[in-house]
Amino acid sequence: MSAFRRLYNGETTLDYPRWWRRAVTISLVAMLVSVASFGVRGLNLGIDFEGGTSYEVRAPGASVADARAVMAAFDAADARIQTLGDDLFRIRSEVADPARAGEIRDALAADLGTVETFEQVGPTWGSEVTDKAARALLVFFVVVALYITVRLEWKMAVGALAAVAHDIVVSVGFYSVLQLEITPATVIAFLTIMGYSLYDTIVVYDKVRDVTGRLGATERYSYTELMNLALNRVTMRSINTSITSALPVVSLLLIGSVIMGAGALQEFGVALLLGIVVGSYSSLFLASSLVTLLKEREERWQAIAGKLRTRGHTEGPTRLIGREEAAQPDTRSPDRIDGSRGVARRRPVQTTHLGGAVPPRPRKKRR
Amino acid sequence: MPRRQLVFLIGIVLAALAATVMTAVWENEPLLGLDLQGGVSVRLTATEPATEEMLDQAVGIIRNRVDALGVAEPEVSRTADGVMVSLPGVDDQQRALDLVGTTAELRFRPVCDVFPVMTANQPGQGTAAPAPASCSQVLGGGVLPPTGRAGVTPPEHDHADQFVILGGRGGTQRYLLGPSVLTGDALSDANADLIDFQWQVAITLKSGADGIDAFNRIAALCFVGTRECPIMAGFSNGRVAIVLDGQVLTAPQIRASQFERDRILISGSFDKEEAHDVALGLRYGALPVELVAENTQVVSATIGEDSLDAGVVAGIIGLFLVALFIVGYYRLLGLVALASLAISGSLLWAIIAHLGTQSGLALTLAGVTGIIVAIGVSVDSNVVYFEHLKEDIRDGRTARSSVDRAFPVAFSTIVKADMASLIGAGLLWWLTVGAVRGFALYLGLATILDLVATYFFMGPMVRLLAQTRWFARHPGRFGLPAAGAVGAVVS
Repeated sequence: MSAFRRLYNGETTLDYPRWWRRAVTISLVAMLVSVASFGVRGLNLGIDFEGGTSYEVRAPGASVADARAVMAAFDAADARIQTLGDDLFRIRSEVADPARAGEIRDALAADLGTVETFEQVGPTWGSEVTDKAARALLVFFVVVALYITVRLEWKMAVGALAAVAHDIVVSVGFYSVLQLEITPATVIAFLTIMGYSLYDTIVVYDKVRDVTGRLGATERYSYTELMNLALNRVTMRSINTSITSALPVVSLLLIGSVIMGAGALQEFGVALLLGIVVGSYSSLFLASSLVTLLKEREERWQAIAGKLRTRGHTEGPTRLIGREEAAQPDTRSPDRIDGSRGVARRRPVQTTHLGGAVPPRPRKKRR
Repeated sequence: MPRRQLVFLIGIVLAALAATVMTAVWENEPLLGLDLQGGVSVRLTATEPATEEMLDQAVGIIRNRVDALGVAEPEVSRTADGVMVSLPGVDDQQRALDLVGTTAELRFRPVCDVFPVMTANQPGQGTAAPAPASCSQVLGGGVLPPTGRAGVTPPEHDHADQFVILGGRGGTQRYLLGPSVLTGDALSDANADLIDFQWQVAITLKSGADGIDAFNRIAALCFVGTRECPIMAGFSNGRVAIVLDGQVLTAPQIRASQFERDRILISGSFDKEEAHDVALGLRYGALPVELVAENTQVVSATIGEDSLDAGVVAGIIGLFLVALFIVGYYRLLGLVALASLAISGSLLWAIIAHLGTQSGLALTLAGVTGIIVAIGVSVDSNVVYFEHLKEDIRDGRTARSSVDRAFPVAFSTIVKADMASLIGAGLLWWLTVGAVRGFALYLGLATILDLVATYFFMGPMVRLLAQTRWFARHPGRFGLPAAGAVGAVVS
């Protein structure tokens, strides 16, 4: 079976745990780089946050492109250029240094038209907006942590928030390293990334809970193995969703920048694309490994791991759980292990089934 | 197939159709934001030297004034000697000026009399009214309010403790007004509300001597009609004018002698815009510095037309690619997913267009971002379900039983994940201002509509398809594996 065929049929047998260590290392390095860059280079904040200089130039017959060309000579091609009425241009750029702003004014006067006004302008996105947004985010983290604790469990809340924090740090770091300009649209893109990442993680966790609920009771698999099964079962979903989410953004980037040559859209397109990729990655690799780490320390899973070890399943590559095994959980009631907690205790949890649903076939043959 | 499912299916399709038709009939259109469409820009200059701090404060007040709901996303920034305000979607420069306002103080004055508008000059002298001020002093000729051109008191003589003659909104009447009894400081809030199918302005006063007590003192006089606040011919009670910037915003009759602090309603023949403007004027009376409008200009979009065109083309191509991918992968189920997307999309469009036309909700690049991501999330709801289906079928169930079994499980996953988005959207909406708030609104709306389309359309639709014999016979056409296909066991 070709790799694609297997993927299509959901027969993927990726060994996620083998990648976790590497993924966590890579992510830690990426986060470190991000934080360092943020500390050293800071962010390239746009005129909306820092203010800058505004020029109004009367230039009959000139076009926005002409004005942009003049600004480009000063490394300020990302200036915001508007037309006022018929032949008046308002050009705003984040250049704050008076000497350079003066040079730009002279160049505009020489190459474009009469400079009518020339002044320093303040930010439109004031510190008030940022402060409020930051406070809202803190509240959001707390409430979402509570929510996940109630709907799933606290260990998953820890994993989800860590994954989201990772995504944000890496995205902001990416902007800091490349010194891409931060505009209000970028900030919105960051928020979007956060929402997307959280959403993705919860979908993965729900699958994990489903699988551990059904198969955990057999006590024949370690948490890591069950996690791996769950991850394999959501792989296709994650890929599909990433593709459908990324397609509009990719087309925005390609068509917007390469073919039609537009600048403003691509800046936040980059942020979105990065967020979609990183968001899916962090759900599959980071959020899952963190939860596994926490869960494997639980008494119940420790006991199972110990039992498995005595049976000869030593450390090494994770055993992959076959489809038939996964589909038909053991319904014997094994000896209870003291201290067992969680959703599944003895019997597999019967997932809700509506009228007309057929319960799972009993297992026919045991190996 | 249970009848309820069929009702859901027909209901949601009809709702989406109705929403589309109503949007077209009412000619609702989304209000595009400054970055996408441009608008009017007003440059305000301070009349006296102002510190940066004062100007920043003015920026905050003006932002609130022009964007009470917090979603119109104006651009307000401090300039060297004033404030620059750009409003999206406003093409009438005068309306922009009215909205921005340049006011000094809000005053409540009893109405002594009302005159028609006059064009001739009638010079008069102003004298401070001896206490206790009463309208009879003026009407009897004892005190002459200062008047200038057009028979109204010019701004420089408009003092709080004197009688004045001021014009009203729309310029059809002049009001002879007594000394100010209450200022804007007494107000804590004012909102335009649609009550009993009429636009009204609800105001809340502060408690204490300078708030509700002062208001009730004059209310008691006006209700019965006294020398301070007479009842004019054709009215049943005396009136109190609310004056902003030398202009009477509204002059309601006082219909009770005592008011509760938070139960004051001004009902008049307001249309929606008037009610909003009055509420705005009431709410944001005073600026820390007096600003005069220097000029107003129509401005183009901040994102150039070229970028916009590119964005639209890219969006269409992107959607087309998504459609291609989904149908290629899930075949007929992919078509169901697309139809579900169309349902939530048309509902979202109707809501955005309605709010854009009615409440000044601006659709900016940030909002468009929210929507693009929402498309991804909507498609995901379908993907989650379809993958569940495939999983169940491979685990040995028949296609038909999987359809019934997988939906509740998948939907519970979708609800869990969407709830997190909704919590985020709600908190951001509640706690932030500006662009973040607009984003939160779009995210929240799109998420709710996703849940609606999934529950009422996608689920029932797949169940309906599962009823057909065709479904069981050709699972491949639905992008599903053959029933009972069990993969190789790996151990």
